[in-house]
Amino acid sequence: MSEIRKPRALATQAAGKAGKFGRANLAATLKAKEEGKKVAYMYINNGQDEIVRAMDIVPAWSENFAGVCSAKRDAEKFLQKAEAENFSRSLCTYATCTIGFDIWREELGEIPPNTPWGGMGRPDMIIGSAQQLCDPRIKWPQATQHYLRDVPVWMGTMYYPPWDQISDHRDQEELYVKYATEELRALVRFCEQHTGKKMDWDRLEAIVNLSDRTWDVFIDTYELRMAIPTPMDTGDAMNTMVPLTFNLGTQEAYDFYKELYDELKEKIALKKGVTENEKYRLVWGAGLPSWFALSDFQYFNDKGAVFPVETTYRNAEKIERLDLPKTNDPLEHIAWRWVRIWTHWYDKARKRPGSLPKVERIIEYLEDYHCDGVVFHCAYSCRSWHAGIIQQEQVLKKAYGDVPTLIMEGDIVDISSYNEVDTHNRIDAFMETLGAMKRKERANSAGP
Amino acid sequence: MTQVESGNYFAGVDIGSTMTKVVILGEGKEFCLIGPTGPEHRKMANRVMEEALRSASISLEDLTYIIATGYGRINVPFADRQVTEITCHAKGMARLIPSARTVIDIGGQDSKGIRLENGKVIDFVMNDKCAAGTGRFLEIIADALGVPLTKLGELSLSAEKPASISNTCTVFAEQEVISQLAAGESIPNLVAGIHQAAATRIHAMVSKLKFERDVAVTGGGAKNQGLVKALEAKFGFSLLIPGEPLVTGALGAALIGKEMCARAARKGVTLARKPRQLSEASFCC
Repeated sequence: MSEIRKPRALATQAAGKAGKFGRANLAATLKAKEEGKKVAYMYINNGQDEIVRAMDIVPAWSENFAGVCSAKRDAEKFLQKAEAENFSRSLCTYATCTIGFDIWREELGEIPPNTPWGGMGRPDMIIGSAQQLCDPRIKWPQATQHYLRDVPVWMGTMYYPPWDQISDHRDQEELYVKYATEELRALVRFCEQHTGKKMDWDRLEAIVNLSDRTWDVFIDTYELRMAIPTPMDTGDAMNTMVPLTFNLGTQEAYDFYKELYDELKEKIALKKGVTENEKYRLVWGAGLPSWFALSDFQYFNDKGAVFPVETTYRNAEKIERLDLPKTNDPLEHIAWRWVRIWTHWYDKARKRPGSLPKVERIIEYLEDYHCDGVVFHCAYSCRSWHAGIIQQEQVLKKAYGDVPTLIMEGDIVDISSYNEVDTHNRIDAFMETLGAMKRKERANSAGP
Repeated sequence: MTQVESGNYFAGVDIGSTMTKVVILGEGKEFCLIGPTGPEHRKMANRVMEEALRSASISLEDLTYIIATGYGRINVPFADRQVTEITCHAKGMARLIPSARTVIDIGGQDSKGIRLENGKVIDFVMNDKCAAGTGRFLEIIADALGVPLTKLGELSLSAEKPASISNTCTVFAEQEVISQLAAGESIPNLVAGIHQAAATRIHAMVSKLKFERDVAVTGGGAKNQGLVKALEAKFGFSLLIPGEPLVTGALGAALIGKEMCARAARKGVTLARKPRQLSEASFCC
């Protein structure tokens, strides 16, 4: 049974509307089955969104589904289903939640009862993206296919140049772009084969262009959060990321950020912040949140702490800042955008001894958004992202200075990994540390 | 709520997972009381506070300001304010051992490392959800060996060769201890081995901080000589222990209350305080 909980307070109206995107995306997968449209299981931040949209394939975002189950505190039944099939609890709980749901749906021949937001439609294909470092995303589609034997799987691998302190990634950049472009071309062939349709290249180009404009308006909007007090924090951004992450290449996503832009402008003009008394500004430095405990952002806010910026789900940049080479091939454009977003902080990191691109990004946010500290979240089952958090924290302190940091612990889906009392205790102690630091700064600036 | 006007007594109430501690600071006098926490935090806070008030020969109404700390701090209805045990331990230790720059608090349910500067916390680290390196770890092992928890430290000092305990996981370490016991290992050697395992865990955690000397130990773990000895071997230098390590947090809480009142008085503001009433524990809505 899902737990009935008090709704989380949101600072923006747009954040409240973002849930409708997620709900509509899931509903679209069910409707597609009725209408005979093709449904594809997909995985976020994959560079494949626009191809699928141009081919009229309806994406079913597995990670989103697991996140919804987690936020509803109703994932345990799916985790247990997967566990009964010998999937370990220490595996990615996005994967095990969704696989548990798939197993159950296959057993019943219909959506399992009381599945949050109606569940996901059965896929006609699985489009995997073995994004570097995320090992579950290599095996997850194959594990799913074990239960959905008739569903074809395509696995793309879009690499980007690795970070190196001394060598310039641009020396090899074109090779990576060429490889990524070929991968995308192979995906087009796979989609054509399984839909029986040919790619409309003009349509794809228009969708890619719309995505570029969406990235631009997204960044313009999010940069408004530099304002003091900030009009929106990470608690809301965990909602407002939905259109960018799951609806890229659609007019609705673009319009959503235009509307959010206007809302934030208005709030700034009225000096209306997330909290009445903004005392501390923090960077959400890394990590997926515990979706079942998003009210922890509220806990921070109630203590006067806000997050004007986060690295999580900010997978976009102003297109002009990426300085993408001109090309008439929309696939090559996607590939350049992909490679350049991943290598965006390489140059800056090279200039600071001992730094790393991920750390450099945090430093940029600390400075641009006038932040006092950094909070990380370690989700135990997402090792690919979270394994490097302690290193990032230590490199940040070594390369940049003794910035107050907090590492929280939990999981993305598995609520048994979370201890609310302990988490709040850590937050309280961190707030007191920030308070002491601020008082010291004030005393130092007042002079002897 | 009534307003603070004047007064000379400040109380700190530290409700830890295992023990409840109360410190009352009066004019030139300090009173402290310690009792087990048990499942009903509020009831125990009341009981220990009543005894502390009796020792100080004052009434609850005489307390100018009360600060609650520890895991059960929200379960002290008569406390005027809650402050985390991290800040309170730092403040208390700055008073007890002014040279301390790093504090290790080994409590019943968790352990922490705290870096301080002029009595203020500048960084901290806490153990994760794992019980290894906490009082609970030692409690479970003591139970498995049939040895009173308070005797562990003394017993380990007579070890000839500490047993090698490879697991820091409490459950696995307990199994390992039982199997080594069955294989004929002596209890003192096993206890010393367990202290080494706990010390390894605590040292690794505190090393995440760029700790500076002097390093002081507080909490119930500081009363265990065997654990302190094992920690000193890991750190490679002597650790400092206050006279009564259990009350460091409660003392810090009382000191913070006193400072807050002094600061408020300087600014000419009054601090709000809760009704001075020891209400019965109630867990009903």
